[in-house]
Amino acid sequence: MKVSLFIPCTVDLMMPEIGVAVYRILSHLDTRPVYHSGQTCCGQPLYNAGYRDQAKRAARHFIKVFGDDEYIVSPSGSCVSTVKQHYAELLADEPSWCDRARNISKRMYELSQFIVDVLGITDVGASFEGKVTYHESCHIFRALGISEQPRKLIASVRGAELVELGNATACCGFGGEFSTGFPEISEAMVKAKAVNFINTGADVLLLNEPGCLLNISGYLHRNHPQKRSMHLATFLAENTREFSHA
Amino acid sequence: MHNRVDKFKETARAEMKNELSQAFLLMLSLGAPIMRQIGMSSFPDPAAAEAYGRAIRTESIERLPELLEEFKKNAQAKGAKVIWARDSAEAKASVLDIAKKRGINYITKGKSMVTEEIGLNEHLISNGVDVFETDLGEVITQMLSRAPFHIVGPALNVPPEEISAVFLKRGVIKQPTVNPVELGKAVREYMREKFRYLDMGIVGVNMAVAETGTIINVENEGNIRMNKSSPRTLVAIMSIEKVVPTMADALHMVRILSRNCTGQKLTGYVSMDTGPKKSDEMDGPEELFIIIVDNGRSEIYRDIKVREILKCIRCGACLNACPIYAKIGGYPYGFSYSGPMGQILNPMLLGIEHTSDLFRACTLCGACKKICPAGIDHPSIILEYRARQIKDRKHQTLSARFENNLATCSSLAMSSSMLWNLAVKTVRPLFNSLAEDGYIRDMPFGAKGWFSCRNLRAMPDKTFHEIWKKLNLPNPDDVRKKETL
Ligand code: SF4
Repeated sequence: MKVSLFIPCTVDLMMPEIGVAVYRILSHLDTRPVYHSGQTCCGQPLYNAGYRDQAKRAARHFIKVFGDDEYIVSPSGSCVSTVKQHYAELLADEPSWCDRARNISKRMYELSQFIVDVLGITDVGASFEGKVTYHESCHIFRALGISEQPRKLIASVRGAELVELGNATACCGFGGEFSTGFPEISEAMVKAKAVNFINTGADVLLLNEPGCLLNISGYLHRNHPQKRSMHLATFLAENTREFSHA
Repeated sequence: MHNRVDKFKETARAEMKNELSQAFLLMLSLGAPIMRQIGMSSFPDPAAAEAYGRAIRTESIERLPELLEEFKKNAQAKGAKVIWARDSAEAKASVLDIAKKRGINYITKGKSMVTEEIGLNEHLISNGVDVFETDLGEVITQMLSRAPFHIVGPALNVPPEEISAVFLKRGVIKQPTVNPVELGKAVREYMREKFRYLDMGIVGVNMAVAETGTIINVENEGNIRMNKSSPRTLVAIMSIEKVVPTMADALHMVRILSRNCTGQKLTGYVSMDTGPKKSDEMDGPEELFIIIVDNGRSEIYRDIKVREILKCIRCGACLNACPIYAKIGGYPYGFSYSGPMGQILNPMLLGIEHTSDLFRACTLCGACKKICPAGIDHPSIILEYRARQIKDRKHQTLSARFENNLATCSSLAMSSSMLWNLAVKTVRPLFNSLAEDGYIRDMPFGAKGWFSCRNLRAMPDKTFHEIWKKLNLPNPDDVRKKETL
C-alpha cells in the first residue's frame, strides 16, 4: 500500500527525526511510504493568524502536490485538521479549488489514526521498560476526535506502563502567535502541563503533535532538563528494534 | 458599564499575580466542569438532550425576526407593553421615562447582563433614580464598583472579609462577620425593606416564549421573583436573541441552562410571567413593560458568518472550560461578557478594531466549542475576526504593512519547495548563530515571548527534505538494508 507522507514544517525544519520515525514505522508495517519533495507547509500559521489570502496560496500548493494520493498521512493533528476541516471554507470562493479541497479532506489521516483504523494494527512491536504518560493535544483530541488510537498503540508497547496525566486534555498553551503575544498566560499553561507530568512520575511524556512538543520540550529543557517528552512516532520507532516484520 | 477592554494584557498580568484569584480559578476550572457533567448525565439520554437544545437554539435564531413579532403580538395580547430599543441610548431613555413619569425615586433590580452591557445603572443613578441590585453577587460588585468576574457569579471570587468590610460600610451589617450564611441573611433583610415599599422593579429575561408571550427567569436566590412580584410597575429587559418558539422549547432550555450553569437539574426558582396581574389575581405588577434591546444584534444577525453568536444562552460553561479564562478570570475581558462567549460577542458590540486582544488571546483549543450547549463554534468566529482585522488594517500602519509582506513572502516560499529550501538554507545559519549547546535561549527580535520560559532547539543540520534527498530511496526495502534511517 502506498502511503503519502505529509511532513509538517515544524518537523521538516526543527525535528526531522520525527519524519524519519514515521517513515520507519510505516515501512515496518508493510506499507510503502512516499514523500513528495515538492511539499512545504499546509499554511496553518498564516490561516490562524488571519492571513487568508496568503494561506490560500499555501493551500492550493498543498492540493497540487498531493494530487489524488489515496492515503495522506501526517504526524500532526493540527495540520490534518487544517487541511481536512478548514481548506474547503478557506477556498470557498474558488469553486474548483474548493471541490478539490473537499476531496482531499477525505484522504487525510493523522498517523496513529491511520495505523489503528486503516491498517488495523495496534501493536507495532515496540518494547520499553518504564512508565509513560500521554498528553491529549487539542487538535487531535477535540478537533479530530482521536484519543483511543494513540492509547492503543501505547498500551501495546511491551513493558510500558501508561499512567494517566492529570488534566490531560487541557491545552498546553502554545497556540502559535498566542505564545509570543501573551507569554505570561502561555507560560502558566505550559507550566501546569509540566507540573501534571512531573506528578505522574512517568519517565516520558508522549504526544503526537509537533507544535505541543516544541512548546513542552522547550519548557522542560529550560526548567526541568531531566524530564523527557517525545513524539509518539519517535518513541515507537526508537523502541522497535526488530524491523524485519514477524 | 465597565469597558476596559484595551487593558487586557495589563489586567491579565495583575490577575495572574493575585493569589486569591488564582486559588479561586483553580477551584472553578476543576470543579465546574465536573458539576456540569453530573448535571448533564442526569438526562436519560444526555447526547440527545444536548442535540435537542442545540436544535432549539438554531431554530430560534434562524427564525428570529418572525419569532420576535410573534412574541410581541402575544405579550401585548396578554396586556404587556412592548418597547423596541434600537440601541443602549433608547433602552436607557425608555426606562428612565417610565420611572420619571411615575415619580419613582428608587428601583430594585434582578441580575441582568444586558443592563450591564448598556450601562443602565449609571444612567438611572445620574438622573436621580437610585438603583439597588438584589442578586447577592451583584450587590457585592455594585458596592465595590467592580466589573463582573464571571457572567454567572459576578462576585464569586470576592472573599468574605472583603464582603464584610463593604457591608459594614454600607450599613448592611452592624458587626463584622465572615460567616456566609449571616452575610446572606443580612442582605435578605436589607433588601426586604426595599421590596416592601417598591414601586418599580427591573429584571432581565432568560427566555421569551413566542407562542405565549411569556417571560421566564431562572435563579437560585428568589430575589428575581421578589422583583417581579413586589412592585406596581415591572420592567423586563431582554436582548433580541432570548426568544424561543414554544413553551416546550423554553422548558427544555431551562433544563439545559440549569445543568450547564450550575450543574443543577433545575435552579431553585423558575418564574414565568404572562402579562401583568389580571383583575382577579392578588399578586403581581399592575403594569408590565418588556423592553427588547437590539444594540448591534441585528447587525450580528445579518452577518451570516458570525450569526451563531446569538445562540448563546449565557450559561457560563465555556468560561469554566476555557484554559485561558482559568488563568486570568473575568476582569481582563474588560466588559460585561467574559471568557469565550465574551471573546466572540464583544468584538461585534465594541468593534473589531478595539478588541484585538480578545480574539488574539486564544490557542484555538476548542474546549468552548465542545462544551457549549448552544452549539456555537467559537474558534471559527475567532478566526473570522482575525481575518477581518488583517484585511482591514493591512495597508494602514507601517508595521501592519510589514507583517502583511512577511506573510506574503512566507506564502510564496510555501508554494515552491525550491524557494522553501533556499529560505531554509539562508535562515538556518543566522538562526543557529543564536544557539549555545544546541539550544537558543533568547532572541533579540521577533518571537521574544517564546523565550520568557522556554528554550528552542537549534535547527538540525538537515531538514527532512534534505535527509530524504540524500537517501534518494523511496523503496523501503533498500532503506532497511542500508540502515541509514
Ligand atoms: S457560548 Fe455557549 S457555553 Fe458559552 S455561555 Fe454561551 S451558551 Fe454557554
